[in-house]
This record gives sequence, C-alpha cells and structure tokens, in this order.
Amino acid sequence: MDAPAPGAGAPSGGFGRLSFGFLAVSVLSGTLLVPFYTPAAAWESLEKIQSGLAWGFFLRAVHAYASFGVLVATAAHAVQVLAARTERQLPAGVWWRSVLLLPVTVAALLGGFVLRGDAEAVAALAIWRRILESLPLAGAEIARLFLGSVPGDLGAVALHHAGTLTLLLWLFTAEHAGRFIPDARGAVLAALVSLALAGTVPLPLGAPPAAAPAHLLGPWSLLGLQGALGYLAPAAGWLLPLAFVLLLGLVRHAEGRVRRALLATLAASCAAYAFFTVRVLLSSRV
Amino acid sequence: MFRTFAFVAALCAALLGLLTAWSREARRERAIGRGADRAGGRVERCVTCHAKASEDPGGAHARLALGCASCHLGNPLAFSKERAHEGLEREPGALATVRETCGREGCHAREAARVASSPMARASGIVSVDRFAFGEIPSPDGSETMTDVLRAANPTAAQSHLRRLCAGCHLGTRRVSRDDAIHGNGSGCSACHVERRLPGAPPRAHPPVDSRVGDDRCLGCHNRSLRIALSYEGLAEIEPFQAKGPDAACAAPVALVALHDGRPACRVSPDVHREAGMACIDCHLHTDLMGDGTARAHKEEQVEVTCEVCHGPARQSGERACSSFSRWTLVRKLDGAVLPVKQTPRDANHARKGHERLSCSSCHAAWVPTCDTCHTSFDPGKRQWDFAAGKETAGAWVERSEGFSWAPPLLGVRGDGRIVPATPGMILDMDASAAGGGKTARRLLSPVEPHTTGRKARTCESCHRAPPAPEFEGGTRTGFRGLNAAERRRVAEARLDRR
Repeated sequence: MDAPAPGAGAPSGGFGRLSFGFLAVSVLSGTLLVPFYTPAAAWESLEKIQSGLAWGFFLRAVHAYASFGVLVATAAHAVQVLAARTERQLPAGVWWRSVLLLPVTVAALLGGFVLRGDAEAVAALAIWRRILESLPLAGAEIARLFLGSVPGDLGAVALHHAGTLTLLLWLFTAEHAGRFIPDARGAVLAALVSLALAGTVPLPLGAPPAAAPAHLLGPWSLLGLQGALGYLAPAAGWLLPLAFVLLLGLVRHAEGRVRRALLATLAASCAAYAFFTVRVLLSSRV
Repeated sequence: MFRTFAFVAALCAALLGLLTAWSREARRERAIGRGADRAGGRVERCVTCHAKASEDPGGAHARLALGCASCHLGNPLAFSKERAHEGLEREPGALATVRETCGREGCHAREAARVASSPMARASGIVSVDRFAFGEIPSPDGSETMTDVLRAANPTAAQSHLRRLCAGCHLGTRRVSRDDAIHGNGSGCSACHVERRLPGAPPRAHPPVDSRVGDDRCLGCHNRSLRIALSYEGLAEIEPFQAKGPDAACAAPVALVALHDGRPACRVSPDVHREAGMACIDCHLHTDLMGDGTARAHKEEQVEVTCEVCHGPARQSGERACSSFSRWTLVRKLDGAVLPVKQTPRDANHARKGHERLSCSSCHAAWVPTCDTCHTSFDPGKRQWDFAAGKETAGAWVERSEGFSWAPPLLGVRGDGRIVPATPGMILDMDASAAGGGKTARRLLSPVEPHTTGRKARTCESCHRAPPAPEFEGGTRTGFRGLNAAERRRVAEARLDRR
C-alpha cells in the first residue's frame, strides 16, 4: 500500500494489499448475504442461510473467513511496518486513522459475531452493551445508538456492521493505500484463500439462542478481552483497547528509548492478551 | 507473497475447497425435507420431514396447529436432522423439562405447577411408610419425597429398597428407566395423558394426547402393592404356583386370566362402579390426580370425592350432603353416558345403632387382595435396576410370598374414630442386613379403600364372627390403630348380642 513496488524493497510487505483484498471479498460476499438476512429474525436467517439456501453455507463461510483475513492481514501489516520502522512515511493524520483500522475491524467482526443470533451471540451482545454503557456521560445513549433498544432486533447492529463500520474501513484503507479499489493481485489471492478455507473448514452454527451451553465463547479476536473481563470491571472493555490504540499511535511520534519502551509495552500487552485467550480456550474444554 | 508459487498453491487450495463445498451442497440438498415448513402460523421445519399422518397426535395437539417443537423442543428452524434434533425432548411432559413443554406459558403452566405437589410426583406416602416399615423413621408421616430418595448420596436400606422397587411409578422417572411393572407408560404428564404402548403392540409413530384418561393408563402403575386398579377391574393377582394344581386359587367359577404383563390373576367380582362403566377419572378429579398445589403426606388426604359426596347422606359435619336433591346423575367422562346416582336409603340397615362410625366401604367393600406373608431380603450377589442410576447395578431386593389371596377386609379404627377397611398387607419379614439395615419382622395393618364396592353389604357374621385378627402393631399410619381392649370387648359383646 505504502510501497507499491513489489519485491524486497517494499516497506510493509504484501499484507497491506492482502488486507485490502480481503476487505473487498468480505464486502462483496456480505452484500450477497444481505437479501437473506433479517435482523429481527437473526437466528432463523442464519439457519436459512446455512442449510436452506443453495450454497448459502459456503457464501457465509467466505464472508467470515475474508473478514477474519482483514484483521489478520492488518495486524501482520502493522507488525511489518513497526519492524521496518516505516510508520513515519505516512502523514500523522493518515497514520492515526490507519491505527484506527484495528479497533474498527475488531468492532466490525464483533458486529458480525452478534448478527449470528445464537446463544454465544446473545451473550456477546449483552456484554458489549454493558461495556458501552460503562462509557462516561452518554454510555447508555451510545449503547442504544450502536446496539439498538428493541430486544431481539439486531437492526442497529446490522446497520453499523454493514454500513458505518464497513464504510469507515473502506475509507481508512483507501486513504492509507492511496487508491480506492484494491489491486488485482491482492484481491485474487484473498479470494482464493477465502474460497479454500470456506470449502475445507466448514463454519458451524452455534447453539440456539435459548440454549444454555456450559461455556460461551466470544469472537476469537476478543477472547483475550473476555478472559480479562473475568477479573476487571466492564469499563476495562473500552479502556484497554483505547490504551492499546493510543500506545500504538504514539509510536510514530517517539524515538529511541521511548519508542522501544512503547513497543515493549505493546508486546507485553499482546502476550498478556494471548495468555488470557489461551486461558479462556482451555477453561472452555474442561 | 505474490510469487507464482503462492498463487498456484492458493489456486489449488481454492479448487479443493470448491470441490469439498460442492459435495457438502449435494448432501445438504438431499437432507432437507420437502413438506410444508409452517405450523400454527410459525416456521416449523420439523413437519417438512415428519409429514406422515401417523405422526400426528391429532386433537388439540394436532401437528399443524402446534407443530412438533412446542412439545418436543429441539430446533424447529433447522433444516438438517442433526441440528433439528439438538435438545430434543423425546418424552414431553417429563417433569425435568415440563416447564418448557406441556407447562410452558400459554399452555398448561398452572397444571404443571400443581403436578409438582401431587402424590404421584412426590410419593411421600410410599417413602415414609417404607422407611417406617424398615424401622428407619419413627412415624409413617414423613415429608421426604421420592425425588429426595433418588438424590440421596448414601442411601439407607429403605432408600435402596425404594430406588429399586418403588421409584418406577414415580412421575419423575423417565420412560427409559421404567421396569416391567409399568410397561408402556411415559412419565410426568405423559404417564396419564398419552396412550400406553403395550409390549408386543405395533409401535405407532405418535400416540394420541388427550385428557380422556382411560383406566388402562391408571392400571399401568396401580397394579402393584395394593393393586387398586386390578381390584377395581375384579382381578386378584396370584402367584404362578397358585395357577395350577389341585389347590389352584382360581377354582370354578372364578376364571384364571393373564394380566398385561403375563402375571396370573383370578377374575373375581369387579367394583360396582366398574360394572356401570365408570372410569377412574369419573371419581378421581384432576385435583386428586394432579394435585391442588398443596403437598400432602399421603394419597388418601388428596382424595376429594368420597362415597358420601355422591350417594349421601351427609354423616358428619363438613361433608357435602347430596340427599336433599331429588335426583342425581353422573356423566361419564370417557363416553358422555348419563348414569343415575342412587342416594343412600335411610332404612334400618343404614341407621343401625352402634354402626354410626362405619364408613360406607366397611360394609360395601366385597374383598381386598391379601399378601399375608411377604419376605423381603437383599441379595448382594444379584443385579437389579436402580431407578436412581438409570441402569442395573449390583445387589437386588428379592421378594417372596407364600401366595396371594383375596378376602373381605378387616376393619380398623381411624384416628378420627371412624371405622374403615384395613388389610393385613404387611406381615413381613425383612432382611436388610446385606444392605446396611437390619432384620425386621413386622405385623402391620394398613387402612385401605379396596375399590371392590358391591351392591350388597357384607353380612354381620363376616365382621362379628370372623376369626380373631392376628396381633398387629400400632398400624402403619399415625391416627390408625387396631382395636384397643375396650373396643374389642364391645365387639365381643355385640357378637354375643347377635347370638
């Protein structure tokens, strides 16, 4: 993105292009799913898409894996940039908006997870609402704005998942890459990877919303936060990600020991996050 | 990343993915049902596969009105069998899930809540009498329920006995955990409201579900212990060795018959109400059977309709009088037939001095099954079904008797002074030493409502010249006792007067 020339000289490798490609595949497959999804009957829609619609299970899996790809490729791209110390090639404003790509992607993924409407999605929605409500001053209003106020109707979540967050993702990515559409190679590779995963690793449906599974797991990208929230107040659900984004953004403005300290803190945060992720996964197997 | 190798590898993986997805799509296409996918105005994909007429319970629970998931749970939105059957309740009405099935809001929530207090769900009478007979508790009026017994971590000898021999009739015991005594009955609501499946009968895909509870469903459980349902039909069970030979129990004109599970029985006189075509539910109201929300220690405390309620006259304060009405009729619940209800005549037979305390059945109960000698022991070397574990476990309670019979009931004096039929049903020798208990010899007299009512009352001689009853202990119930010395003297005097 920031280094259009292919090869060893590229400051960020190919993950940036791949991320934009995954985003394109995700948006396209998501658009194809829209006619078959009803936010007020989420669980029924998922059953219909998964088993009642020809190739519906495959389309849903392509959408999910492409979306996962966006996050993975974006994170990998960030690591490459920090390792290559190329973050200063971007103007400060673009850099900060690029940093915001990470939380926006995670929020979009969380929205997609909640739109499943199954037992885990219902639990995740409740936790997400509590986190937003813990925001100072206008927490409850923000929660209503993003998550709606009618129980069982995921209309607001669907709107922000397919509209607001997707639009932000596309705009920030396009600005970062300096082009409005992804290049063909990134898009084709992302499509091939998504197709391969969607066909060979089937995406299951969760338990019905009324069921009470012994263990409820949130989206894979937020398992670390799920584990940490077992010990922390709901406000940690927005304070920790905010702190991480601020630290990452400040790297561009730091030099020498301060930069190393920031990177070490970020690395420690990632390690702690991985620890909590593994802990949650292990406890779910007991 | 963008080298040719990466593209070729990704292309191959994508092709493999597409082929795999193609196969899954073909399987999905074959698996989904082709029938209608709505029932009761809702999406109900169960009926896309379960479309046969024989799979419809009909009536108020018709498949197209309620669908399947209303009673059977599961996932009615699923397209595949596996997902549709996740969380399936094969036995709707089972007490463990009754609040989600029959007892869900909008259906029978009130009744389901009441059933929890019913004697058939609690079985506290059976539990406390059994534990009393084992000498484990001082009174036969405990509040311990069969559910408590099934949950006991370290069961006592009596609890072990209950778990292996008695818990099968508990409404909370699932069909899969039923034994030979109660073939075909479900549990919870289904025990009464779903048609029984007898052994060997061709399986029907879905039995009818209704409130017209026939006697065969009652008989499914009430054919052991006091064998009330058998007695009502005029059937007296005997031991197999009593069926043949010169001393056969069923000598002509009494016929030998086989019960539904093969046990031999003699066909003697049925209850007069049975002869009139009345079913159990004609007398035993829903409050009797499903409880009224109040937990009672013994089942007789739950009975609402007594003889006097229909036949009058009121003999004691608090009982409803019927005799002031000129004509009473009864509408049979199963077929709607109208029967006249005769009122007790105010003649000399019913106003005999000194007999004011007699209950109707003291004179009108023709017979009661007797099992004078019951030997119960625990054999640790055998295996037996344990209803708590839901499987066979080591150890077995073995019952032996020296034969069953039937005879006019004895009479006893209840705590309130009323004279009622009784049976020497527990002359038993118990050896629970191998199960952690002790050896017990009991001579217990139990009050009973025999359900063998006859038009003609028993004769004076059958009471006043009967052989002396064996010496019984204080009775199986608080408030029930044998005759004391003064009462025996009065009976003897009455006998002398009659002579």
